[in-house]
Amino acid sequence: MTTRTAGRGQKAETARELVEMSWDPITRIIGNLGIYTKIDFKNREVVECKSTSSLFRGYSVFMKGKDPRDAHFITSRICGICGDNHAVCSIYAQNMAYGVKTPPLGEWIINLGEAAEYMFDHTLFQDNLVFVDYCEQMVKETNPSLLRQAENTQAPNAGIHGYRTIADIMRACNPFSGDLYREALQVSRVTREMCCLMEGRHVHPSTLYPGGVGTVATPQVFTDYLVRLLRVLDFVKKAVPMNDDLFDFFYQALPGYEEVGRRRIMLGCWGAFQDPNVVDYDYRTMNEWGRKMFVTPGVIVDGRHVTTNLVDINLGMRILLGSSYYDDWQDETTFVTHDPLGNPVDQRHPWNQTTLPKPQKRDLDGGNYSWVMSPRWFDSRTGDYLALDTGGGPLARLWSTALAGLVDTGTVRATGSSVEMILPKSAALPETRLEWKIPRWANTIERNRARAYFVAYAAAMAVYFVEQAMNEVRAGRTQVFADFDVPDEAIGCGFHEAVRGVLSHHLVISEGKIANYHPYPPTPWNASPRDMYGTPGPYEDAVQGLPIFEENDAESFKGIDIMRTVRSFDPCLPCGVHMYLGGGKVLKQVHSPTFGNGAGG
Amino acid sequence: MSRKQPIRTGHPDVRPDAASHVKGVKQGNSTGNLDKQAGHLPDGRSTARRSTSINPGMHDPIDPDMPNLSPA
Repeated sequence: MTTRTAGRGQKAETARELVEMSWDPITRIIGNLGIYTKIDFKNREVVECKSTSSLFRGYSVFMKGKDPRDAHFITSRICGICGDNHAVCSIYAQNMAYGVKTPPLGEWIINLGEAAEYMFDHTLFQDNLVFVDYCEQMVKETNPSLLRQAENTQAPNAGIHGYRTIADIMRACNPFSGDLYREALQVSRVTREMCCLMEGRHVHPSTLYPGGVGTVATPQVFTDYLVRLLRVLDFVKKAVPMNDDLFDFFYQALPGYEEVGRRRIMLGCWGAFQDPNVVDYDYRTMNEWGRKMFVTPGVIVDGRHVTTNLVDINLGMRILLGSSYYDDWQDETTFVTHDPLGNPVDQRHPWNQTTLPKPQKRDLDGGNYSWVMSPRWFDSRTGDYLALDTGGGPLARLWSTALAGLVDTGTVRATGSSVEMILPKSAALPETRLEWKIPRWANTIERNRARAYFVAYAAAMAVYFVEQAMNEVRAGRTQVFADFDVPDEAIGCGFHEAVRGVLSHHLVISEGKIANYHPYPPTPWNASPRDMYGTPGPYEDAVQGLPIFEENDAESFKGIDIMRTVRSFDPCLPCGVHMYLGGGKVLKQVHSPTFGNGAGG
Repeated sequence: MSRKQPIRTGHPDVRPDAASHVKGVKQGNSTGNLDKQAGHLPDGRSTARRSTSINPGMHDPIDPDMPNLSPA
């Protein structure tokens, strides 16, 4: 349940009566995230929010000097739940650097593994971790009147999912005892098996390499995958309308709930699922093969695409400091002055980043307070450094794909304003068509709702990928890897979607070794602190100004609306920070409030 | 615990890039090695020789027009 460190000081201010409240660490996420807020209980509003991370890693520096062929095995260890996303992204970057292309069957196998990963991870997070915030027990403690209302509200889709009232859905979400909670655990096991079939192992794949895969592509392996996929389809078909019922109820029962976690629509999606018929991993044609991905990359501002070009996305990346425990690298080595198309590359781009950690005491009053840096996307139209968020992953993916209208596989179709998914007949339910429509807001509820739809998206895509892979096998084209030489000097970048959002790996090879390597996963974007221009990161931005709907007073306040908002982004702090302490010596003791607590996941 | 001593460690006996490739050592991924793999045909197809070296011809399809589906 939510952990609260109450009584860290209640400070009255003259203008508004603000109460300082903090949650450090936030539970049911991975890693150490602290949320420090100032709340105006009289006006029921969060006035200020700062998000901090006391967790640090060392990837960007200890990768230096390593054999680049090891990069995907090492970077996979960044995360204990989406490590295969890192491996795949690293392989994309390596493929570009080596100039090698995975054979079509190998590419379908990677896509199948990643589709299983999305299904696994979203199900586990949504049903076993997010829904605890919406379960009967939690709602009883935070909003008793809402639960009474839920008892008397019929679920519109009860005919599909079987829960008569909204309160029945909430009861099914109760941890350890609810039906949905327990069934989701089973589903996440089966989907994990699907990932293992394709990638050898979950979560650190053993059969993925640059240039291809080591999976032996027998008809049996695809049949095993398909059997499991069909087994979970019933669950997916029920889960989507059930999510709709639950979240629509919150809008109806709590007017104004759309303001919870709402921020300006600034979403980033780096694209997922390569199309082997187009992709050649050449930077110069990256825009073309990027747009052919089965999740369309894009930057969305105020509901419109700014770009769907991976080259623009790449060149717009800036890693800013401002409230992070690092020294500036403006005067350090510039590894890449121009990209292969001749465009200048900024010193604050990941290709040129040098990580210079500077451990210090946390200072939440105008000083540095987080190990997370502040990645921003430079909008050349306005000159703004946009604090893009990923919408927890699915919101940005579906939004970008829907707007672009490029994806049409037969099982998934993007229409320009929505995404249609068709799931084939399964044991209990007939063929089902689902449609995710672009919502009016980027808020807590829509981030969570999109997650349920993206499980269906991944499942529908997996159906298509299995068909394509079987076509290759039936035609006898069983080659799954290609050979390559590691060049002495090369650069590469990989763009992919980790389960919780944008993922990029930037690689520079010099003398056949890694000279610079920077993974930028979703959480640095989402959990970033205020940058040098004072722009707050997405968590801070979403929580600041948040109206409070919880019925408890300040004494027994649980902060459920804040927790729902932060968790809607699917925080994953182990991928938030990558640093290294110069001489291998602790320079100063720093704040570590949760020693030993980050071991899970 | 306020004045924590640095962790005592031994002297490193390897350089950080020791895990990298040593020039001159053959790499399995090198171009040309795929052609040397038994059972892999140049057009991307494969034969039963890929899976077994014991009477591989016996495990190929009876009709040469049939796709050669790998037993494992």
